[in-house]
Amino acid sequence: MGPRGIPHRHKALFIGIGAVALMLIGAIAAGVILLSGAYSTSATKQHFWITYRILELGLEYSVNAAADELPIPRVDDAQALPIGHACYREHCVQCHGAPGIARDDLGRGQLPSASSLSQSARDWPAQNLFFVTKKGIRMSGMPAWEFRISDEGIWSTVTFMKRMAFMTREDYAKFDGANANARCPRPTKAEPYTDELAKITLRQYACDNCHRMEGIVGPKTFVGPSLENWPQRKYIAGVLPNTRENLVRWIRDPHAISPDTLMPNLEVTPEHAEHMARFLLDDR
Amino acid sequence: MKSIQLTLLASALFIAACVPERDFRPHVQGGDAERGRVALKELECGACHVIPGVGGAHSNVGPPLENYSRHSYIAGKWPNEPERLIAWILDPPAMAPLTAMPKVAMSERDARDIAAYLYELD
Repeated sequence: MGPRGIPHRHKALFIGIGAVALMLIGAIAAGVILLSGAYSTSATKQHFWITYRILELGLEYSVNAAADELPIPRVDDAQALPIGHACYREHCVQCHGAPGIARDDLGRGQLPSASSLSQSARDWPAQNLFFVTKKGIRMSGMPAWEFRISDEGIWSTVTFMKRMAFMTREDYAKFDGANANARCPRPTKAEPYTDELAKITLRQYACDNCHRMEGIVGPKTFVGPSLENWPQRKYIAGVLPNTRENLVRWIRDPHAISPDTLMPNLEVTPEHAEHMARFLLDDR
Repeated sequence: MKSIQLTLLASALFIAACVPERDFRPHVQGGDAERGRVALKELECGACHVIPGVGGAHSNVGPPLENYSRHSYIAGKWPNEPERLIAWILDPPAMAPLTAMPKVAMSERDARDIAAYLYELD
């Protein structure tokens, strides 16, 4: 018997019930705040200081824990700088700016706003920068670049960023002048097929914004036709027999098959299109 | 305690009901949705389409017509609005020569009523 004559096991039970009740009240309160619209999602309203710091800390630890698993491609330093600059000019400077160069409109209205890389490049190990550039940051404006830039291109970009942290305005301008014709390399290969990779691929080409697909969490969209039960469907876009070969053709160049279609050409690589078609045609 | 929770839940549900309806909801002037449902069955549209509420319409030859009032486009080519949908139902090959969807003999009234029914699919 504990104090006041309540047996210990009963005391534990009371504490348990109390905890569950508190959690329930918390969940209901959260629901009310969400559904009343009191929680602001606008990009002009910053997180509370403590929320911001926690998210920032979480990002650093999360990236650090995952970054070591990614294999680093071999790129010759002499090649890395021009390639990295090309990628930076095509895909990064718009939001991150560069020494003496302001980020453009797209990089100003975001919350969180894109970091100034002169500091990130000083603070973060190259491996971690590589990870963040390749995989992006969820619920921020930072996209994953792995479906847009080859691994060699991303590593070159990191190499360039590391150098950029020590560039004057004039140094950077020299790159823009001398290296204007270099192009950022697009991915040329894909990892071997897995269902998980196929889902990532479909999301990374934003397929889920127009099509609903089995096993893919995304918006309740009705822009394009639902692709649920796709293996049973007889036609692609109402014109082509639904075979894997045709599906790959359609995904890669819809206008070649149906000139008026509203489905855009997303410049899907052959390997990525194969993964998508295999996933969609798989009878689960 | 329980009554407080119920009150909170009720108010949450009440507040949730305040999200605005869809801004655009297609509607066919003078269409009879119930007649349309019967026409869909009699014209055997279900031989190719999944159509909720129409008996036997479970086929996946063509695209499923569930939630049709929410679909953005007709046949992947035209904005989904009443007059275009009626024209499409009446004569698909006239609008898209390569389409696998055949022209099914029906009156213009049938097409209007069918469109009215499809727009009731939320």
